[in-house]
Amino acid sequence: MEQQSLRMNDCLENVVKEYSKMVYRLAFSQTRNKSDADDIFQEVFYRYIRKKPQFKTEEHRKAWLIRVTVNCCKKMWTSIWIGKKLSLIVQKDEPIVFKMKEETNLHYELQKLPMKYRAVIHLFYYEDLSIEEISKALNQKPSTIRTQLTRARYKLKEILKEDYDV
Amino acid sequence: MFREKYHRMNEQISPDQELVNKIIHSVDEPKRETNKAKYFFRRPITIVAMLMVLVLTATPVLAANVPAVYKLMYFVSPTVAQFFIPVQKSCEDNGIRMEVVSSYIHDDTAEIYITMQDLIGDRIDETTDLYDSYSINRPFDSSATCQRVGYDKTTKKETFLISIKEWGNKKIIGDKISFSVREFLSGKHEYNEIPMAIDLTNINNTQAIKLVSIKGGSGPKFKEYVPNFESKVKVLVPSAPMDFPVKGIDFTGIGYVDGMLHIQTSVVDNLTKDNHGYFFLSDKNENKIQCAYSVGFAENSDSANRVDFDEYVFDIPQAEIGQYSLYGTFATSGLFTEGNWQVTFPLEEIKNN
Repeated sequence: MEQQSLRMNDCLENVVKEYSKMVYRLAFSQTRNKSDADDIFQEVFYRYIRKKPQFKTEEHRKAWLIRVTVNCCKKMWTSIWIGKKLSLIVQKDEPIVFKMKEETNLHYELQKLPMKYRAVIHLFYYEDLSIEEISKALNQKPSTIRTQLTRARYKLKEILKEDYDV
Repeated sequence: MFREKYHRMNEQISPDQELVNKIIHSVDEPKRETNKAKYFFRRPITIVAMLMVLVLTATPVLAANVPAVYKLMYFVSPTVAQFFIPVQKSCEDNGIRMEVVSSYIHDDTAEIYITMQDLIGDRIDETTDLYDSYSINRPFDSSATCQRVGYDKTTKKETFLISIKEWGNKKIIGDKISFSVREFLSGKHEYNEIPMAIDLTNINNTQAIKLVSIKGGSGPKFKEYVPNFESKVKVLVPSAPMDFPVKGIDFTGIGYVDGMLHIQTSVVDNLTKDNHGYFFLSDKNENKIQCAYSVGFAENSDSANRVDFDEYVFDIPQAEIGQYSLYGTFATSGLFTEGNWQVTFPLEEIKNN
C-alpha cells in the first residue's frame, strides 16, 4: 500500500514554488553558471516527479531536495559524458548580471573554490543550516561536514584575502 | 561580512519563470519529461552504443606498462580506461616521487591519473590526503577536482584522479598544465567508540567559564542555545591538558555549566593535522545520547600557535549523570609532510589511425 503523505502541500505546483529558488541557488552555487544550473534544476524536479517521494515533514522534503541537487551536481561533474552532453544540446550560457560590481567579483572569486566545498558553504552561509542539518541533508557525518567547512573557510580566506571576514 | 554579501548575491539568482512553469506543467507531458531527462544522464544502452562507435573509430593506447594504476583505472571506470594515454612524467622531492601516469582528453574535459610514492619510507599510505595543498595551473578558465582513487600496497603508490573541465566548452588539447602538491597528511588513525576513563559522578560544577565568538557549531539544540553565529557563547576556560587516550587531541575541560555537562577538547595547529571527533553518552541499556549541541572556537587564530577548541554540551542533569558512561570517536593524522612536487605536461589527444 502506498504510504500517504502527511503534508497538505504535496501538490507539485506548491512544492516547485516553495523550493524552486532554494534548488536553483544551490545548483548555481556549485556550477556557477546559469545553463548548468538550469539543467540541474530540471533534473531535480523531474526526479521528484518520477519518484513521487513521500515525506513526513517539510524538513524531510527540504533535505531530500538538497541531497538530490548536490548529487546531480556531482554526477554532472563526474560524468565522463559531460563533453558529449554539452555538444548535443544547444549552448545557452548567459553571463549573470549582478547589481553591484563587488557581487560580480564575489561570483567570479567563488569559482576558484574547490567544487567539494561549494555546497557546504552555500548551505551554511545562505540556507543558514547548522552542521547537524547539513550532515543529515547530505548523509554525511557531522565531523566530515565540520572538517569540510573548516577547510572551505580556510580556502575562502585564501581566495578572498582580506576583502571579506569569513 | 562574507555572509551578508553572499546573501545579497544569491538573492539576485532565480530560475526563469518559464523554466519553473515548464516543470509545473511537465506532469501533463510525460514524453517531454523523459526526453529532457535523457539529455542529462544518458541511458546505459546509449553509452554502450557510443562507446562501440568510439572503440571502432579510435585507436586506444593501452597503459599496459603501468599495471597497478591501470587496474585502478579499470576499477574506477572500465569503459574509459583504455582511452587513457601514458604520460609518465615525474618529479622527486623529500624522498617522494610524484608521477603523472596517464591522461584522457576529450573535448573540454581532461582526466589525469597521478601517483605518489614514498621512495625512502612509509609516509604515503591508504589514508593519504593532499589536504587541499594541490594546485592545478592551466592557461584557461576551468574547474578542477582531485580525488583519491586507491592505494597499491605492493608498490606503496597512492593514485589520484584529477578532472579538469574548461568553461565555455572549448577544446583544451594542446595546452600545458602543471600539477603541484605542497603538503599532505597520512598515517590517519581512527578511534571508534572508545570508552573514556572519566568518573562522571565527580564533576566540578564551579568550573571557570568565559564567553567566546564561535567559528561553528551543530547539534539538535544548537539554534536554541546559539541564536546566531555572532552571539557570544559560554565555554569552559581551558585547563592544562589532562589524561586522554587519543594522541593529537588534548582534553582541556569538563564541568557543569547552567545544569549542562560541558566537555572540551583542543588541537594545537590543527590546520596541519585535521584531528577531529565527537563524544556521546551511553546509558545502562547501551542507548547512545548525543550532545545537545557543540561549538568550535579558536585561540591565536591568526598565528602559528593557533589552537582549535571543540566543546560538547550534554543536556543531562548532574543528579542523573552517574547512570551514563562517556565514549568518543576520533580521527587523527600522524604525519604531515611538506615538499615541492610539480609536474608540467601537455594535454594530448588520442590520435586516430
